[in-house]
Amino acid sequence: MAATAETKGPSALRNAFGGVLGVFILLLIGVLAFSIRIFSVIKYESVIHEFDPYFNYRVTQYLTKNGIYDFWNWFDDRTWYPLGRVIGGTVYPGLTLTAGSMWWYVLDMVETVCVFTAPIFSANAAWATYLLTKEVKGTGAGLIAAALLAMVPSYISRSVAGSYDNEAVAIFALVFTFYLYVKTLNTGSLFYATLNALSYFYMVVLGTLLASLVPVVGFNAVMTSEHFASFLVFMENVTLKHNDHYNIEEAFSWHYAQLECCFRRTYASKYIPIIASVSEHQPPTWPSYFMDINVLAFLVPAGIIACFLPLSDASSFAVLYLVTSVYFSGVMVRLMLVLAPAACIMSGIALSEAYDVFTRSIKLQLPNILDNSPDAGDINSVSSIAQNDASKIDSHATTNKSETVSKERPSRKNRKKEKEKEIVEKVPSNSENKKRLLVLPLEASAVSILLLIVLGGFYVVHCVWAAAEAYSAPSIVLTSYAPDGLHVFDDFREAYAWLRHNTDVDDKVASWWDYGYQTTAMANRTVIVDNNTWNNTHIATVGTAMSSPEKAAWEIFNSLDVKYVLVVFGGLVGYPSDDINKFLWMVRIGGGVFPHIREPDYLRDGQYRIDAQATPTMLNCLMYKLSYYRFVETDGKAFDRVRRTEIGKKYFKLTHFEEVFTTHHWMVRIYKLKPPKNRIRGKLKKPRSTSKSSSSNQKRAGNTQKNPWQ
Amino acid sequence: MDPRKPLLLLLLVAIPALISLSSATSPTADDLVAELETLRVQSPSGVIHLDDRSVSRFLTSAPVSRPYSLIIFFDAAQLRSKPDLHLSHLRSEFALVSSSFAAHHASSPATSLRVFFCDIEFQESQSSFSLFGVTALPHLRYVGPHHRSPRDSESMDQAGFSRLAESMAEFVEAKTKIPVGPIVRPPPISPRQIAFLAVALLISAPFLIKRILDGDTMLHDRRFWMALAVFVYFFSVAGTMHNIIRKMPMFLQDRNDPDRLIFFYQGSGMQLGAEGFAVGFLYTIVGLIVAFATHVLVRVRNTTAQRGVMLVAMLVAFWAVKKVIHLDNWKTGYSVHAFWPTSWRW
Repeated sequence: MAATAETKGPSALRNAFGGVLGVFILLLIGVLAFSIRIFSVIKYESVIHEFDPYFNYRVTQYLTKNGIYDFWNWFDDRTWYPLGRVIGGTVYPGLTLTAGSMWWYVLDMVETVCVFTAPIFSANAAWATYLLTKEVKGTGAGLIAAALLAMVPSYISRSVAGSYDNEAVAIFALVFTFYLYVKTLNTGSLFYATLNALSYFYMVVLGTLLASLVPVVGFNAVMTSEHFASFLVFMENVTLKHNDHYNIEEAFSWHYAQLECCFRRTYASKYIPIIASVSEHQPPTWPSYFMDINVLAFLVPAGIIACFLPLSDASSFAVLYLVTSVYFSGVMVRLMLVLAPAACIMSGIALSEAYDVFTRSIKLQLPNILDNSPDAGDINSVSSIAQNDASKIDSHATTNKSETVSKERPSRKNRKKEKEKEIVEKVPSNSENKKRLLVLPLEASAVSILLLIVLGGFYVVHCVWAAAEAYSAPSIVLTSYAPDGLHVFDDFREAYAWLRHNTDVDDKVASWWDYGYQTTAMANRTVIVDNNTWNNTHIATVGTAMSSPEKAAWEIFNSLDVKYVLVVFGGLVGYPSDDINKFLWMVRIGGGVFPHIREPDYLRDGQYRIDAQATPTMLNCLMYKLSYYRFVETDGKAFDRVRRTEIGKKYFKLTHFEEVFTTHHWMVRIYKLKPPKNRIRGKLKKPRSTSKSSSSNQKRAGNTQKNPWQ
Repeated sequence: MDPRKPLLLLLLVAIPALISLSSATSPTADDLVAELETLRVQSPSGVIHLDDRSVSRFLTSAPVSRPYSLIIFFDAAQLRSKPDLHLSHLRSEFALVSSSFAAHHASSPATSLRVFFCDIEFQESQSSFSLFGVTALPHLRYVGPHHRSPRDSESMDQAGFSRLAESMAEFVEAKTKIPVGPIVRPPPISPRQIAFLAVALLISAPFLIKRILDGDTMLHDRRFWMALAVFVYFFSVAGTMHNIIRKMPMFLQDRNDPDRLIFFYQGSGMQLGAEGFAVGFLYTIVGLIVAFATHVLVRVRNTTAQRGVMLVAMLVAFWAVKKVIHLDNWKTGYSVHAFWPTSWRW
């Protein structure tokens, strides 16, 4: 109260100190964001992860090698054989160009740059979150939000070192664009408006270029924007476009998902198998929220309410961002990533407000030996943020350090408020400067602070655990802990290296689309389909071949000039995401285009099984044969450890394919198509060679099915 | 129409007499048609209710090339309570097909009207069910003029039921070669209701407009939007979209002990309805408590009240967080642990 007037001199010093401390804290947050994502490098090695990053890596390699002009005109003939793919026109170039320029200016090692792009941009995203939240609710909230974002598990899952993908950078671009937008709103400055436009463009380049070109999506974006605009009072259309557009982009970037499937998920999962087959498109259950945003889920409602008290342009924007993203995250688990920054911002605001009240209560009542009942000023509706300026002297030692700097905020905010004439809602801003000290009982406040710290501590433990245990596996190298120590399964790279060294450079390799990017990037061989699933018919052709008997499959592959077929098999070591487990999707996708492939033929009474009860169609299809060829030689019983059963047909020979390479743990098996001459011999031999009596007849019966390529 | 009406009336009177008189002599085909038509007129949607007696009369004991065909919907009153069968819904859809068919052929010659829609109930006509060999519901049968025994009749593909009346109509068209015509669904609100709504709107319009001009509607109230935002949040974190998309029930019955209900499902890929709402509530309540303490409670003058409410609030919040952590560990099987420097181990 009395402190208002006399704080001129000390407050400047305090502000300066607070500023320095704030910068220091931000630096630490950046270090935290970077280092929590390094678990993958420490536990495994500096390697690109998963599937899509391999494509991005390959594109970046091309860019750095050949320059930007060649990159724009790049027609890739190593994939989608014989169609090829125009990379320059169909890729989201933002990520590649970002990493390319980092390579150009900073480091000369492409792979290192690619591996560490995601952690670096996570740090940037944390700083951007600080800026955005600062615009909404002040520095304290900003620092807490940044710290929360630095380690939110949902974002970690997409941005560990090595996951060189659009999402890692896109979240930074998203938050930064939002910041510039809010900043433009708050200041009315042309400078920020221009920056905002540029940043929006960057975000679009990262993702939406293609999405906005596709008529369906573009149209939907406009439609939904207007739909929301009709009942949202404060937001301008542009903002909404940011928001919704981004959601679409997110949804779209997995190749096929359109906004349609956000709203009518049932439709998509029923009729578009390729969407339904991606587990990321499933709606999440409540544990997903606890896993991905953890205790933030508890704090967000408090943040929402704090944003309404008082409601400003910036805070209404934050509420809108949260509400749209939380709704869409409920539809598709993948969109949890977009929710994460919003949840961090809201929780930051909530925590900051709570700490604000509790620390103030302690501070004002601690020297409470003298009777100190807060004098009865009138109760005004100004939120605590507008009035804590004078009353705070120093930070509470035990709480989050970020509290200290939250005081420089209000004066600037008020200045800005006056500048803005057209604020819609009437905050009784600085007219009532009479402050009543709003405090809670001392001991209750102390316990509350303690509880909040415990909550924050749990969050940190959870995030570190999630980063270390759940999200750091590169999925290209696998490990497992057995009683006798650590086992490393490096079969994928073994297989790709074999292909690279033992096959002709122009040979075509067929596999299910999951392995397309990796094959082109690591083995440098031409593939038929890859993870950019743009041509459903082509994928269906490969699915049909895998579901057909040997001869029909051979004909399909031969007509595509395929030399080698690669299958992933986990039955020996118990690796569950192998091709046999994905096989029903191959059947479904194949059957969607070529009706002679019928799913019921592969199911016994609606059950998918590969044991003795399996249907003859299943036991004779190419995928079964390539996966289980010679499998009985491993343990004598042919026990599949993924399906936990003995396989149905153990002894058989291949007529049209020959095994050329099987990796150490049998996880990848590579077969070569026999040349036509051998094929005839194989055919003549067949009745003798197949040991199981029934199989040869069935095989011949199966061969009468028509080949889609004839 | 006119010449037929007296005929029908006559038949109405005549048929019972006929049946009673000549139960030994088998009725002629024309008699049967007339009888069926009478029964159809009696039913509001034109669906004839069959039982064991009428089945034997119209199908088994009737001469083989019957001049009419029957579409039979198999119903079971005891299974109507099972939600996944949708029997009552399908039955009303069947009635729609029947009435649409009748409406479409209202002015056409009587021969095309010789397709009769019937239903049959399990409890009262079990022998007919075994006669048809029907073991699973929902089931729709077409008995054509040439079908010798009920077992020969053709049934509709099970998958077709998902498309309701449309696929039933397609089935009827495919079998009878007679178009059903557009499915006429009753409008969701009747004309009278529309008129009532219009009047109500008209009366309230001046008041509404005044309030809108004053900026005094619910939509102008900030608290409304706040509640809406919190509700959307609750709705989403409770996994309600999952429950809607997957059509999850609120709870399950324990298989071993039918009296026990299962509210929580172990395994992270799935959740039950009540479970989602419970945890969504726990998620939301903590935030609301924090907001209450920081924005409302702080304004209360009475320190004792503050103290008491804070105590309760902290207990509730602590319990909620602890409960969620416990449930999550139980459901997913994960156990989160911290990483400490090795030198700290003792």
